[in-house]
Amino acid sequence: MREILLAAPVLLPVLGGAGMLVLHLKDGGEKNDRRLMFLTEGLVLLNSLVIFWLLRYRMGANLVLFRLFGNLTVRFGLDPMGGVFAGLIGFLWPLAVLYSFEYMKHEKRKQMFFAYYVMTYGVTAGIALAGNLVTMYLCYEMLTLVTFPLVLFPMTREAKRASRRYLYYSIGGAAFAFIGLVFVLSFSATGNTDFAPGGVLDLDAAEARRNLLLLVYVLAFFGFGVKAALFPLHGWLPRATVAPTPVTALLHAVAVVKSGAFAILRFTYFSYGTEFLRGSWAQWTVMAAALVTIVFGSTMAVREIHWKRRLAYSTVSNLSYILFGATVMSPLGLAAALSHLVIHAFMKICSFFCAGAVMHQTGKTQVYELDGLGKSMPVTFGCLAVASFSLMGIPLFGGFISKWNLVQAAFACEGSWLPCAGVAVILYSALMTGIYMLTVLVRACFPKREKQRTETEPERKYRDPGWMMLVPLLIFAALILFWGLHSSSLMRLLTEIGGEAG
Amino acid sequence: MEGNIRLLLPVVAPVAAGIAVLLYSGFRRVRKPLLAVVLGILVLETILLGLALTGEGSLLLWQLTDVVALRFNVDGVSRLFAVLTVGVWLLAGVYSVAYMEHEQEEHQFFGFYLIVLGVLVGLDFSGNLITMYVFYELMTLTSLPLVLHERTKEAVAAGLKYLFYSVAGAFLALFGIFLLLQICGNQTFVPGGMLTAIPEGKAGLFLAAIFCILVGFGAKAGMFPLHGWLPAAHPVAPAPASAVLSGVITKSGVLAVLRVVYFVVGPELLRGTWVQQVWILLTLLTVFMGSMLAYKEPVLKKRLAYSTVSQVSYVLFGLSMLQPQAFVGALSHVVFHSLIKNALFLCAGAVIVMTGKTQVKDMKGLGRRMPVLLGCYTVVSLALVGIPPASGFISKWYLAAGALASGTGIWAWLGPVVLLVSALLTAGYLLPLTIEGFFPGADWDGEALERKAAAEDQKKQEPSAWMLVPILVLTAGALLFGCFPGTLIQMLETIGAGVL
Repeated sequence: MREILLAAPVLLPVLGGAGMLVLHLKDGGEKNDRRLMFLTEGLVLLNSLVIFWLLRYRMGANLVLFRLFGNLTVRFGLDPMGGVFAGLIGFLWPLAVLYSFEYMKHEKRKQMFFAYYVMTYGVTAGIALAGNLVTMYLCYEMLTLVTFPLVLFPMTREAKRASRRYLYYSIGGAAFAFIGLVFVLSFSATGNTDFAPGGVLDLDAAEARRNLLLLVYVLAFFGFGVKAALFPLHGWLPRATVAPTPVTALLHAVAVVKSGAFAILRFTYFSYGTEFLRGSWAQWTVMAAALVTIVFGSTMAVREIHWKRRLAYSTVSNLSYILFGATVMSPLGLAAALSHLVIHAFMKICSFFCAGAVMHQTGKTQVYELDGLGKSMPVTFGCLAVASFSLMGIPLFGGFISKWNLVQAAFACEGSWLPCAGVAVILYSALMTGIYMLTVLVRACFPKREKQRTETEPERKYRDPGWMMLVPLLIFAALILFWGLHSSSLMRLLTEIGGEAG
Repeated sequence: MEGNIRLLLPVVAPVAAGIAVLLYSGFRRVRKPLLAVVLGILVLETILLGLALTGEGSLLLWQLTDVVALRFNVDGVSRLFAVLTVGVWLLAGVYSVAYMEHEQEEHQFFGFYLIVLGVLVGLDFSGNLITMYVFYELMTLTSLPLVLHERTKEAVAAGLKYLFYSVAGAFLALFGIFLLLQICGNQTFVPGGMLTAIPEGKAGLFLAAIFCILVGFGAKAGMFPLHGWLPAAHPVAPAPASAVLSGVITKSGVLAVLRVVYFVVGPELLRGTWVQQVWILLTLLTVFMGSMLAYKEPVLKKRLAYSTVSQVSYVLFGLSMLQPQAFVGALSHVVFHSLIKNALFLCAGAVIVMTGKTQVKDMKGLGRRMPVLLGCYTVVSLALVGIPPASGFISKWYLAAGALASGTGIWAWLGPVVLLVSALLTAGYLLPLTIEGFFPGADWDGEALERKAAAEDQKKQEPSAWMLVPILVLTAGALLFGCFPGTLIQMLETIGAGVL
């Protein structure tokens, strides 16, 4: 129990959030608001500091928190791959909370919102730090439960429906993932489900039941894929955009959906092991599913005119970039998948925060209402431009780096024409990304003249949002550029992870 | 950063100046300081370019990742394209002083005008595939505002069309680039190509990838099947922008194709493959189709845009022959067409500013009011048709001679035939304006129009010197290069000898 601190990033926010729910601080009023803000931001910052301290000094640590029964243990461990995900959310959460305060200024029931928002932090950290499949599964189920109230938050009929759908999809998916868990446990060489680079399957025993195990893999892939919005199980994600923007931006573009992708990476590279899967029909099946999702997501994004839903479809497609990298099942593939996991987080959260800033300042939600806003909100749309170019994969921006890695991994993958088709699919999706992101930019920055003239006066009153929204936006935009120009150190780390596990 | 740091200046200076023009609000109200800054930068750019081209020509810009380096490397092709770009930009910039007077939001136009210049010079200097791709994408994004400038419904639609075609082309090409990088790494361009043989076992994929690059970059050069944006986008832009879009930016598509075929893959690998055959077919199809469409088009600027579609594919045809003489013809046509098409678009713009007329049939008797302008138009038209001694003749001669000597079977004679037919059509769509303009016929009532013009107080006959001088310079260039092509051809032959 020496490493009890390893559980701190999980327990601290969960207990803190629960405390906020139980204690019922007074709601409303500027003074109470400020107190709530300092409390939440303090808690989140503290937790991030703990995470970064762990990353710095406790890499490789292990902790068995408690034993369920037999060899089912709740176990936390810090390895480089979990560290990447933990570091990512540890960086994003404080900024997202900062943004939320300005965004939620006029909402009621703030306390409940922030309580669950903080709890989600802990549960996501749990997924990042999970040391075995059982723990990850536990956190995965928990994640559904703590984010459910956040989708429900607006309490409209639409929100109720969306949250119910989210619940059914996620719990259904988890059931399939559970099958995977059971099989990994019974075929494990070590008798438990602890993650190990290269997998834990007892290959001799597994070969005997090869097809059954491959089928289970595909089922579990789709099961975890629900959270990663894999087609045809993506339906909950675009609908869940009814939630407030900080939820959509951080949870439904990063924390929740990437937990799904992260779980698939863990399951593929650390439980099953790529050696068993490589070249099998299961690999091509899941790769095809990822490619179909990329095409579907980016095409639907072009058709969608509700801005946040458009971004949600973009998330659907981009998450499958990560899954495509995962299904290449090679060291390069894992490194590429992780690089997109990290870089996409920044681009998508930046895009959503821009959309949120516009909604907050002007109340506009549809793409066709954005004419000419670029002039009144230059900083917001400047950041959106950076995020858009990056999502398209224009060199010098971060997105190009991860796309580059994915393509390298795909070309190096032998055995089928599917990876090559994957490259074509990625480029098709890049074109669609250009269409759905840049039409927004062109509308906002280069409106048609006739329109501009008639609506000049009302447009004038809109302004860029306050510093609490702008600071996160600017930091994200700067980081996108930073990754685009200098990704060597990140890639060295990810390649090392890939080399161990692939 | 190691190497010749001076190479950075002609790229960074205009981009920085352009951003300053866009952001500094002081330029929005007053015109004169803005123009002074813009013209100053354009003149400065010629000096900077001269300085940059004197030294040794390589610069490592930035290590994007451990394997991907951004690098400038200046060779003969870079020099040719860079000098051409900067020269044309300066002339069109001078012209804009008078032309943009009647447009709104000038600072935006001039800001992006300068930025695109920097990006284009960067593209010309690019020393490897990734660098070239970076500047290619940046060029698309930064030139978009020039197309959109008028902000009419039509302009915005055309701008988006331009954007989507360009981006689609770029991503199509990127597929091939990814594969090429996988095979040969991100090396500095090598004259004659880096590969000695088609990689074994991947021949089909390899050739398909090259084809993707040809079609993808061909989008910028207006090559069928991705030519659709060009006749939409060029006419809606302000005249100086259409001039540089047609004259210079289409050539960056040519440059990209040239770099891939002659400096990465190597012409020997493509000779006789289906890629070469289909490529030739596409270029000839485009040459013919562009001329036909131009012939049918009643609006002058649109007609010129279709003419660009056709003429740039002359260049691509020359490149697709993989033959030294045709190569010289292609590169000389890059220069000549650039000068000629700029002059033509600037003439069309001048007519619009002075008379407000856009349709060719309304321009009857134009020669009475503006003899010098129409004279220039006539000279460059004849040059484009290819009448000796004007410049177009030289390039077409080399193209035809190269094609005949290329040994490409049926294309060796079909190519020159198509070029000839297209030349006839060129005369057919350009010269009616000259004929109607100078000889409107007996039933044309010039007096009435002149009275009307006098009543509307349109005293000035010719456009102002700001407009006329650049047109005259371009015309003189188009004529003189035809009379004295020696130096240029010699330089091009040296380049050609290096790659073939």
